[in-house]
Amino acid sequence: MKARRTTKALQYVALLGYMVFLGFPLVWMLSTSFKPPREMVEIHPTLVPHNPTFDNYVEAFTEQELGRAALNSLQVSLATAVLTVLVALPAAYALARFKTRLGTVALGWVLLSQLFPFVLLVIPLFLILRQVDLVNTHAGLVLVYVVWALPFALWMLQGFVRNIPRELEEAAAVDGATRLQTLRRVVAPLLAPGVVATSLFAFISAWNEFFFALVLLKSPDLATLPVTLARFVGVEGIARLGPLAAGSLLATVPSLLFFAFLQRRLTSGSLAGAVKG
Amino acid sequence: MLRKLVAVSAALLIGLSGCGGGGDEETSEGPVKLRFLSLAWQKESLAANRELVDKWNAEHPDIQVEYVQGDWNSVHDQLLTSFEGGDAPDVFQYESASIGEFAEQGYLADLSGLLSDDFKSEISQGIWDTVTVDGKVAGAPFLLESQVVIANKKLLDAAGVTVPAAGQAWTWDEFQANAQKLTKGGTYGVAWALKSPTNRVMNLSLNFDGKFFYTEGGKTEVKVGDAEKEIPRRIHDMIYVSKTASPDAVGMGGTDPLPGFFAGKYAMLPGGVFLRQQMVEQAPAGFEWVTLPPVKGTTANQAANPQTLSISEDSAGKKQAAQFVEYFLNPANQARLAQGDWLVPTGRKAGEELVKATGGKQGWDVAVASAADLTIAPFQTVSGYPEWKTKYATPALQQYFANKITLDQLGTQLVDGGKQVLR
Amino acid sequence: MTTVARARARSDRTTVYLLLLPALLPVLVLSVVPLLRGIYLGFTDARAGRDVDTSFTGIDNYRELLSDDLFWSAFRIGLVWAFGVTILQFVLALGLALLLDQPLRFRGFARVMALVPWAMPPVIVGIMWRLVYHPDAGLLNEMLYRGGAEGLRHNWLGDFSTALPAVILVGIWAGMPQTTIVLLAGLQGVPRELHEAAAVDGASAWQRFRSVTIPNLMPVVIAITSLDFIWNFNSFGLVYVLTAGGPGGRTMLPMLFAYEEAFRYGNYGYAAALGNVMVVIIVALLAVYLRRRLREANA
Repeated sequence: MKARRTTKALQYVALLGYMVFLGFPLVWMLSTSFKPPREMVEIHPTLVPHNPTFDNYVEAFTEQELGRAALNSLQVSLATAVLTVLVALPAAYALARFKTRLGTVALGWVLLSQLFPFVLLVIPLFLILRQVDLVNTHAGLVLVYVVWALPFALWMLQGFVRNIPRELEEAAAVDGATRLQTLRRVVAPLLAPGVVATSLFAFISAWNEFFFALVLLKSPDLATLPVTLARFVGVEGIARLGPLAAGSLLATVPSLLFFAFLQRRLTSGSLAGAVKG
Repeated sequence: MLRKLVAVSAALLIGLSGCGGGGDEETSEGPVKLRFLSLAWQKESLAANRELVDKWNAEHPDIQVEYVQGDWNSVHDQLLTSFEGGDAPDVFQYESASIGEFAEQGYLADLSGLLSDDFKSEISQGIWDTVTVDGKVAGAPFLLESQVVIANKKLLDAAGVTVPAAGQAWTWDEFQANAQKLTKGGTYGVAWALKSPTNRVMNLSLNFDGKFFYTEGGKTEVKVGDAEKEIPRRIHDMIYVSKTASPDAVGMGGTDPLPGFFAGKYAMLPGGVFLRQQMVEQAPAGFEWVTLPPVKGTTANQAANPQTLSISEDSAGKKQAAQFVEYFLNPANQARLAQGDWLVPTGRKAGEELVKATGGKQGWDVAVASAADLTIAPFQTVSGYPEWKTKYATPALQQYFANKITLDQLGTQLVDGGKQVLR
Repeated sequence: MTTVARARARSDRTTVYLLLLPALLPVLVLSVVPLLRGIYLGFTDARAGRDVDTSFTGIDNYRELLSDDLFWSAFRIGLVWAFGVTILQFVLALGLALLLDQPLRFRGFARVMALVPWAMPPVIVGIMWRLVYHPDAGLLNEMLYRGGAEGLRHNWLGDFSTALPAVILVGIWAGMPQTTIVLLAGLQGVPRELHEAAAVDGASAWQRFRSVTIPNLMPVVIAITSLDFIWNFNSFGLVYVLTAGGPGGRTMLPMLFAYEEAFRYGNYGYAAALGNVMVVIIVALLAVYLRRRLREANA
């Protein structure tokens, strides 16, 4: 009993350590966003601002159209997440459950496409999108993001499918379930955490992507958040830290909320559905 | 099967393109439309840029300018991609050191025939030279950054160091001697921020006529003689021999030394004139700062790397774009843009207006006066310079300023690098 | 094979293709074409410029590349970086995922916090970490100072020996969420019955971890470590903001090298050749890893 309590205590200590390591830049960013310019160059910086101010927020939001940029980003990222999962799920299932040469080639290719320095792909990609008139549209950007997120989605999802013991599906089939029923009742619940992880990945990588958004979108009204935020950084990497931190907070919160909303899905589901259903 | 697929994918593509915003706005009739990519990032300069564009648009219904904001870190990639993709902005802001290559690649319009003589005569020939590639003018230079020294007034007074008047600049020997006087207790005389050392060294080396690049009979090579060694040696000696410059600051860039400077850890801060803005906005209450004129060697010359406005060769409205550039950079506007970015205007009249408008305070007198010594340096016209800088010069200088190699080894590395790049 | 079996096999194959196509089609259009072009460029002297002629140069680029010491030194640093980040990241992420899988209090909150590095916009991440490592006013040095360990204050990014470890730490931080979330999701996929059955058989927690968790997690582990390795090898944006490859080239990553070759000096052909060589080497490394792992997993 005592050993178990020690284990628990150690677990909390470790968890706290992780939280500090992973979370402190966010806390620091929050603190910075309320600091007046003079407090950003103190030789002994403090976590709590001496004279907290909202000026950075006012400046960030009046100077750049962060609201519109956030809406643009949200639209692009959600579309990317949904499309990626819709497209990747069946393919991943096929890759994991049926051995075909096409499947092997596809998986290999998908990995290879991640390997090649993407900076070298930008210009050809740009030219293709120009051919089909998708430059300077969100649709073109979504298309690029989906293609970019697909390798991860495929590899991860097929890994998750492989994780589901084939016997469970076979057992369901023996019980007289049709293929679709098997998929819905047995596979889907077990796959839910993987789908959550994948859609989260697609969402966030689109939400944070800078380079393609910069190059593909020309009209100021289409600009996404990362591109807009970068405008607070000037020559030689000198940043206007206050407005940048304020704007970045706006960019960070939606992802965290999105995840807070989804995270329960990472545990629930599991086998419950398969057993009860 | 296959046909179905193609049909489905086509439908998908069409569907996708339908739901996106934006789209093409190209029209053959109506006013000329120009896209202007600006790199303004400071509050005041942003406001000035937007206001000037709005004013232009109101006054010129037949030439409408769309204001697009870029950023300094990614502008190179953005421009290169859009040049290659045939979708470049009509007018864009950048700097002389970087547009040379675009000009050589044929992407920039030659402004020599597009800009009026009145406009050209405002700017000195030395500055025009920095934007001239193969006899063609690649951009209109408008903002200059000279290297000055910002100092902590109280520490100067305490050490009995008097502030030199404009035109009475310290020599390097005096600068080093004063740094010695200022070094005591926990205070270093100087903080040399040398994270990106190459441009700094190249610019200052003109003080001793250090050219680095020598062209003979159409062939350019790197030479490191006594003139070239002056600046690196003096900086190195301050850090490791007289110990009047902080070794910690060597890895710093841009505004990194400010916390130490404001805390009195460093008495003097050599840097660009734009640092004055940080002084005004960020110095703690009661902190007194002063702008010292640029330090001089055998001459007071420094390399000029002006910010520029260029016009794309592929622009459909080059003439109109040039009109806009002239308007945007007229003396009054230029003075305003310079003030917003805390830099020095290239135009003579603009400089005079700026000193008048500010009363020469906050170092504006010193800043504007320093522009007279800015001129072209040999490295600015060498097409392999960016590669030499990143691959060889920067690592070698970083090693030298970290006391890992000797001055002679530095020289050898720079020369060998030149041989690799300038084949 | 009977006719029925054959017919079923054929219908299965059709199903497979139908399932695969929506994913492969966009990949085909938007990645195969640019990729093939990219690979081809590696055998040409393509340069940036308006109306420049490009000609096929065969293996010239590769001959030059063999003697390009700067590239190979960057490549070695790239391997240290990619292996360092991937391995440490995996170990730390596995620990965190196991913790987050436990019925601990504040678990939901902790899961959200674990995502922070991922959610913060990259543009500010590098800047925040520069503030952490700042020699005069950095958080790390400030913590050492307040903790009474003033003597340990250090110029983390400026010192030749600590620059690479310092950026590796940032790399680990930045990639933790992805790996953690995937492993956590993988842990959920391990059927609970197997755990229960093992527990009934009297297996200890460690034994269960080894005999149930690890084997079941293996496909996910393989996938995420391979992808992490590739991503880490290919990433350079963060390091660029932190050190720009300095001091003295100590953090010059091969992808940064290739990027500058293409975008700064306009040598598309040579940059693509660098890309090709890196792809070949990394594929070889991955092939060894994947083959062994997959065999283990299938055994």
